Amino acid sequence: MPGLELVAELRATLERVGELARVVELNLREAAAGSGSGSADERAQELERRLATAESDVKELASRLVDSEHQGGRLMNLYVATYQLHATLDPAEVQATIAEIAINLLGAEQFILLLRKDEEEDYEIALIEGMYDGLQAPYDGESYTAGDPMVDATLTDGVLRLGPTPESQALAAVPLRVQNDIVGALVLLKLLDHKPILRAEDRDLLDLLSAHAASALFAARLFATKDRKLRTLESLVKLARGE
Amino acid sequence: MQPRKVLVVDDSKLMHKMYEVMLRQYPLVYALDGRQALDRLQEHADIDLVLLDINMPNMNGLEFLAEVRSNGARKDLAVIIISTEGREEDTQRGLEAGASAYIKKPFHSEDILEKIAQLERGPGA
Repeated sequence: MPGLELVAELRATLERVGELARVVELNLREAAAGSGSGSADERAQELERRLATAESDVKELASRLVDSEHQGGRLMNLYVATYQLHATLDPAEVQATIAEIAINLLGAEQFILLLRKDEEEDYEIALIEGMYDGLQAPYDGESYTAGDPMVDATLTDGVLRLGPTPESQALAAVPLRVQNDIVGALVLLKLLDHKPILRAEDRDLLDLLSAHAASALFAARLFATKDRKLRTLESLVKLARGE
Repeated sequence: MQPRKVLVVDDSKLMHKMYEVMLRQYPLVYALDGRQALDRLQEHADIDLVLLDINMPNMNGLEFLAEVRSNGARKDLAVIIISTEGREEDTQRGLEAGASAYIKKPFHSEDILEKIAQLERGPGA
């Protein structure tokens, strides 16, 4: 992974800078021990300047190393989420992956997956997670028509919204798209207690879910339907042939 | 000492893939629950680190850990619990059950790598 290589390179650079700092410090001590002449003082000052520069470089590189490690982690999360969403054509597995991303990578405790029903205006509640104390309105029916203004707005215009707002308890309403069509939403209602807020890096994952989750799910459902029809047709052909 | 083989115990295939990408430098073995994990330990005597989820079907992580710790043959097995259970008492329970460390999900990859590095350096390092 390029991120990991960058981290390795930064580590090596940090080690080199640390070595340089040790050499400069050693020279500085030697110069201080042999002081007494004007040139020795000048040399000591020069070495001090170089040491200060080296220390500043170390701090800068350490900061870049931390940034690079975070960036590598973010890219890894995105890669793994994308890979796993498209790793199967089983609709149940795709749905499980969406839930696993929400729980394990976003730290969501309560969330709901809404998917538009064929030829209908309302939405199937395809997945409910973490609502152990019973379902609350507007998610307590067999399907979702409307009721949460933030979610309704997202289902209408396809814009990812973050809450909560005065009108909505939801922490995020993530539109699910298949090409330019809004086919549902992932609604985050509560995070794990030790994950107080959605962080900037979570936005990347929410965008990824918006773009990939529905298309992976619909491709899997389409495949399952076609596969079932194919098997039925094959059975009919065998029956007709008297096999 | 670097682990010879790492056992990943998690019912999430997403997490299996995550560890595969994150821990490329280690040979990995996978299990989807505690029972499978016990089987993997029997099959691979060179496993010396376990990354363990808690909430799993069939046998959860703490039950697995209790089983392993009651078996004197694997006393030296290092176990890092990695779980969404994030309360202080969950951490305490995990450590008292014999885990070497406890990490809360979601995590940064550095958290895991640092814990493994600490285990490699050994106690008191």
